[in-house]
Amino acid sequence: MFDVAGLWLGFQIAFSPVNLLWGLIGCVLGTAVGVLPGLGPAATIALLLPISMKMGSPVTAIILMSGIFYGAMYGGSTTSILLKIPGEAASVVTCIDGYEMAKQGRAGPALGIAAIGSFIAGTIGLIGLTAMAPPLAEAALKFGPAEYFSLTVLGLLLATYLTGDSPLKGLTMAILGLMLGCIGLDPLSGAVRFDFGVADLQSNIDFVTLAMGLFGVGEILFSLEKSETASILTTKIKNVFPTLADLARSGWAMVRGSVIGFLVGILPGGGAVLSSLISYAVEKKVSKHPEEFGHGAIEGVAGPESANNAAASSSFIPLLTLGIPGNASTAMIFAALLIHGITPGPFLLKEHADVFWGVVASMYIGNVMLLVLNLPLVGIWVQLLRVPYAFMAPLIMVLTLVGVYSVNNSVFDIWVMLVMGIFGYLARKLKFDLGPLLLAFVLGPIMERSLRQALLISNGDFAIFFVRPISGALMAIAILFVTYNLWAARKEKRKAQAKAA
Amino acid sequence: MKSWQRYAGVFFLALAALAIQQSVWVLRLFDHGQPGSGFMPFGLGVILGVLAICLIAINLGPEEQQVPFWEPRAWLRPLLAIGITAAYVVVFDDIGAITSVVVLVVCWLFFVEHKSAPVSALTGVLTGLVVYLVFERFLQTPFPRGILF
Repeated sequence: MFDVAGLWLGFQIAFSPVNLLWGLIGCVLGTAVGVLPGLGPAATIALLLPISMKMGSPVTAIILMSGIFYGAMYGGSTTSILLKIPGEAASVVTCIDGYEMAKQGRAGPALGIAAIGSFIAGTIGLIGLTAMAPPLAEAALKFGPAEYFSLTVLGLLLATYLTGDSPLKGLTMAILGLMLGCIGLDPLSGAVRFDFGVADLQSNIDFVTLAMGLFGVGEILFSLEKSETASILTTKIKNVFPTLADLARSGWAMVRGSVIGFLVGILPGGGAVLSSLISYAVEKKVSKHPEEFGHGAIEGVAGPESANNAAASSSFIPLLTLGIPGNASTAMIFAALLIHGITPGPFLLKEHADVFWGVVASMYIGNVMLLVLNLPLVGIWVQLLRVPYAFMAPLIMVLTLVGVYSVNNSVFDIWVMLVMGIFGYLARKLKFDLGPLLLAFVLGPIMERSLRQALLISNGDFAIFFVRPISGALMAIAILFVTYNLWAARKEKRKAQAKAA
Repeated sequence: MKSWQRYAGVFFLALAALAIQQSVWVLRLFDHGQPGSGFMPFGLGVILGVLAICLIAINLGPEEQQVPFWEPRAWLRPLLAIGITAAYVVVFDDIGAITSVVVLVVCWLFFVEHKSAPVSALTGVLTGLVVYLVFERFLQTPFPRGILF
């Protein structure tokens, strides 16, 4: 079940001093962005994409970025518990009971259980990743254009329905992302599309430019609207190591959270946010004391924090085996791999085993690093919350501007980034989720190539997507999923109308 | 808020129309009986158009509760930031990358964050120094030379 030789190779790569150092930098940066509200892991990875291009080894670059991604899951709980502001979207539910625990003078155990749960779940998720990825990659070798098209359709639908509040808005963003992906050279015929006579548009919009604009500049502009600063709960953080009683109460919550997180994380769009919400609901349901939830129940911290970490690990499965990123952060890692000339997908394990196993092994090491960073050193992260955002905003802006210029040495890219930033800011204000846009932008070329190649094979017959077994099954799931959601929404609306009447 | 959602719907509808127009008149929907370069954008334009119409339709009617799109003067700081950044891009090639970074940070801290002139100036110079060391010296980014550096 386990490819021991592969994992051994991975540990040899991950334990090299350079990779250990960049892994540590990734974990530290990830924890920092998790702690600081406003700047998420996707934005941070976007900011570091230009720097990663200068790194000689792709393994090192991906180790750094993965560290930021799963490190943010650890750090996100700190602000949720101490400020009732989620440092990261996946820590929203941790606010409920974590902050209540802090108000009762139990901030230490809350932070401690969050870190321990994150470590256990992260490790369980990694074991699942190590076991499942190789057979899945083997199976994916049988995929042809029709299967890839159906898979991207299903992935995008799941991503738009499972993230954000409105599927309509999510779908709109996804279509917009696909359209932005069409600008520039047609991947099959070489024709130039939507350039409107602008020479710079002929070479496609750069992923780094788009990601930095939407997630970097957009986030800064959005945060500028709020001038108020949250105050840290002035409780003393003591007893970070939980008592045996706390561990006994949280044990099963961590296990359940890990399993839920792992399964939900594999789904495109599922990810850390959804898994933590499901985990909280499950914990409340199975608890013998549901009335304690919302008033400082430790299971309400342990379950969701475990779930979001397990999901972060398992979201690497579709990325590394199928080449389908499930969320904005893994889409950034997808782009980083492409920048280094590596195509994520079933061939990754065969052609770049060093990258695959090096990254997986680094995640095991990173989990241990993060436990050390988040348990005894939690006080340092709390101090980070005292850095005024007034100084951070222009510094982040400088990093995005200089970073995006350094990719192609193009001033036009900075303009595109600024326009995307303004769009991202307005989209946030109108409650449009930008995740599906970025995912669709990444998946667009794969989708178009697969669609046109499949139609070429079938002489223009769309039935090819339904008659081939794997493709047909994926399409059937997509249709059932949409139909069920439409039916559920209709039922909900009727219920609300009946209630109002 | 509903009115702004409707404006967003109209914007997406216009984009959809543009995509369809380009796909049909400029690109080729089909090429030798096979999907051409306009095939996918055409399909996307049609779907986006339908979604935009749905977005407009569900946001018709009066506001359920009056929620302003911007709180009073909340637009000012983002607008100032956009203006300063746009000015940075305009002068980037002429005054050089490092100088423009210093100017950007000083202006941002002074006008957007209302920090004192010495604090803004010191932060600006330090940021310029870090950018110079990291990007120009360490990463060897070929920045445009300007009036000072």
